[in-house]
Amino acid sequence: MTKMQKGILVGFIAALTAILGLLTVILPKKDYSENENRYLEECPEFSFENIKDGSFMSDVETYVSDHFAFRDVFMTVKTYYERATGRNRINDIYMCGDGYYIEEYKPLENADRIAGAISRLAAAAKEQGSEFVAVLVPTAVSVESYRLPATAKNASQAEDIEKIKALVKAGETAGDSLFLDVTDALVRAGDRDQVFYKLDHHWTTAGAFAAYTELCKRLGLEPLERSAFKEETVSTDFKGSFYSKVNDLLAKPDDIVAFKSDRLKLTVSYPDKKVETDTLYAEEYLEKKDKYSYFLNNQNSFVEITNANASTDRTLAIVKDSYANCLVPFLCEHYAKVYVFDTRYYREKVSDFIKNEKVTDVIFLYNMYTIDKDTGIKGIE
Amino acid sequence: MVFSSLFFLFFYFVLFLGLYFGLPQKCRNWVLLVFSLVFYAWGEPVYVFLMLGMTFSDYCLGLLMAKNDARPGRRKVFLILSVVIDLSCLAFFKYAGFIAGNFGMLIPSNAFFRKIALPIGISFFTFQTMSYTIDLYKREVEVERNYGEYLMYVSMFPQLIAGPIVRYKTVKQELHRRVITWDKAVDGGLRFIYGLLKKVLLANRLGMLWDEAKAAASLSTGFAWVGAVTFTLQLYLDFSAYSDMAIGLGQILGFNFNENFKYPLSADSVTDFWRKWHISLSSWFRDYVYIPLGGNRRGVPRQILNLAIVWTLTGLWHGASWNYVIWGVYYGVLLCLEKFVYGKYLEKAPKLLRHLYLLFIVVVGFTVFAIEDFGRLSAYLGAMFGINAAPAAGNALFYLQNYGFVLAASAIVSLPVFPALKSRFEGLKAGTRKVLGTVYACVVGLLFVVAASYMVADTYNPFLYFRF
Repeated sequence: MTKMQKGILVGFIAALTAILGLLTVILPKKDYSENENRYLEECPEFSFENIKDGSFMSDVETYVSDHFAFRDVFMTVKTYYERATGRNRINDIYMCGDGYYIEEYKPLENADRIAGAISRLAAAAKEQGSEFVAVLVPTAVSVESYRLPATAKNASQAEDIEKIKALVKAGETAGDSLFLDVTDALVRAGDRDQVFYKLDHHWTTAGAFAAYTELCKRLGLEPLERSAFKEETVSTDFKGSFYSKVNDLLAKPDDIVAFKSDRLKLTVSYPDKKVETDTLYAEEYLEKKDKYSYFLNNQNSFVEITNANASTDRTLAIVKDSYANCLVPFLCEHYAKVYVFDTRYYREKVSDFIKNEKVTDVIFLYNMYTIDKDTGIKGIE
Repeated sequence: MVFSSLFFLFFYFVLFLGLYFGLPQKCRNWVLLVFSLVFYAWGEPVYVFLMLGMTFSDYCLGLLMAKNDARPGRRKVFLILSVVIDLSCLAFFKYAGFIAGNFGMLIPSNAFFRKIALPIGISFFTFQTMSYTIDLYKREVEVERNYGEYLMYVSMFPQLIAGPIVRYKTVKQELHRRVITWDKAVDGGLRFIYGLLKKVLLANRLGMLWDEAKAAASLSTGFAWVGAVTFTLQLYLDFSAYSDMAIGLGQILGFNFNENFKYPLSADSVTDFWRKWHISLSSWFRDYVYIPLGGNRRGVPRQILNLAIVWTLTGLWHGASWNYVIWGVYYGVLLCLEKFVYGKYLEKAPKLLRHLYLLFIVVVGFTVFAIEDFGRLSAYLGAMFGINAAPAAGNALFYLQNYGFVLAASAIVSLPVFPALKSRFEGLKAGTRKVLGTVYACVVGLLFVVAASYMVADTYNPFLYFRF
């Protein structure tokens, strides 16, 4: 480089540095980052104690990085640089074809905990004489493994599901017959529809519908045809959890489709929120980042749904994670009562509930991606 | 504070430069001193007083030496006092836990000693302040009468916490009067930017791969070597990046620090490697330990003893743990072998073979350096040499895809490829040079933006050499 070129380069970088620093100081600050689902660092307090123990300094550094000017633009720059230099995994997310993100699947660490929960719940159902079915939903990493880059490394969800089954079998009498495998149904549905979101870890309503059909067959219910529902695109701007991890402002958001029905006559009560309503959908979440919470009003330890127009008088307890939230509307068609338990938050005994309420059917439904991290599951009794 | 943090680069440094160049020239030393002390106190709000104490004692002992200029006995006492005080502080804060851990039965309440936290950069500034009193005793420098300026020399933030170890006599003139030219400042700025890119875009990325290798439950021989090579590159790039940034910052401010690295991974013998790796440390040990002990002037047995002392200390300087001692002794032994046994045959070997010989030694050496726990170290070394190694896993392509670029770029930067290209470049026509220069400037500018984006996105920002 000539002296002139060097001078321009260094001058440009120095000016950029100073301007970014200045903008960070003067631009208005946000308190909360929706994308990261956390409150950003508050302006640190200057005191002798805070300086002595060094907390003032580390808080200042966090404050600066939390509120840095054009923070999400920089994150996107990083993502594109990484992709340009060959990386296909960013923050454990594989960059897949057609704009899909799929998270790396790591081997199960808590198979015992999961098997224990299934065994106990199955035993409680058996004692009550209820139908029981456990669904371990495979996620995109195995259902749509063809999308993964050729060099991806993943553990096998199918093997892990077998491992859980074997543990349940070893502990209890029932074994295989407790489980319902929805993999093939999801693969088939995937040929026609989008069954997983591109930028989120959840399945789509179409994916849930495929599992619903299988569940009906298993539980002796008459599944409704797809044409019985009115498919309504409720959002075209869903940027889910994977989006937050990868940080690509230019990623194409997902649509959220709800399968609406006019047959339901519902009373839905959310004791946590002390709310009673007649709908399974929470419109307000469509305006927020966390749009999947549209289904069944985000996370609730317990939801009680009454359908005055159900096709049977059976009652259902469903012990589940958020995957079930877009599946429950289908099941409500058939059950006079649906009790929804989220073990991450529910602290009472589900088995007592099954007994007291004489529940006829029990479903255990979790996805393989988050079940391993779900610590509440061990509380199932 | 680290140079590659958002807070330092975009706020502290900007404010500092604004005041350094904005205020009248006579304020510069004060600005530098205040910003250096805050820089250190930022990470060590308590131990900053230790540094103040150590520099003050050496400053006073220096004055006393000057006052007793005609009395060699007293001068010697003051020198010994200075060395004893400095080394005691170093020993207490860096090695007390290590000593208590190994010889615990001899020391009451050794739990207390194990809890002492290592003050950042103590190994560096202790050696700097010692270089002053020793050189003063040897009459190689004149006494410093201004405590502010002496403190500024020791605490100067560019080199305070991770070197290079700048000797007082190197910067003595510049402490009082330094010439800052635009061209030199621009060169310094560029040097700093190169260092930053090296650290953020290469060393930190390599660190992630090394962490994966280190944490792997079962290691195949191939992956163990990939990990060891990765760590070697990471350590070199991380540490030399810090020196680049320090030297560049110094240049902006008007100081000329000596080079600390000269492409050590291109060396072709262990002797050559240590002429190119962490030069400010090896020359410190040479000038203040090896030569005073007699060096090679008192016969071969004495020379071997001197080498043994120097290399044990070199190892120990890097950390209070046995693996560093082994690492130092390993080099001591290899240097003796080269000097007295096979050096003359090595010289005749083909160049490529000599490079491979050196790289093998360096990579194995840094593996010992990298893992403090003996059980894990021996398992890792075992895997490298096929003992209890896992069969090769099918993940090689994944790692190649995700880390191939950064490994290749790191290798290119670690070997003298750029200097070679530069001399080619000089021979080109002026027009071509201008075009290439513009392209190059644009690439560096863009990479800076990328580096900034990594700093925004990353919490992953450890400086390896802080532990020493």
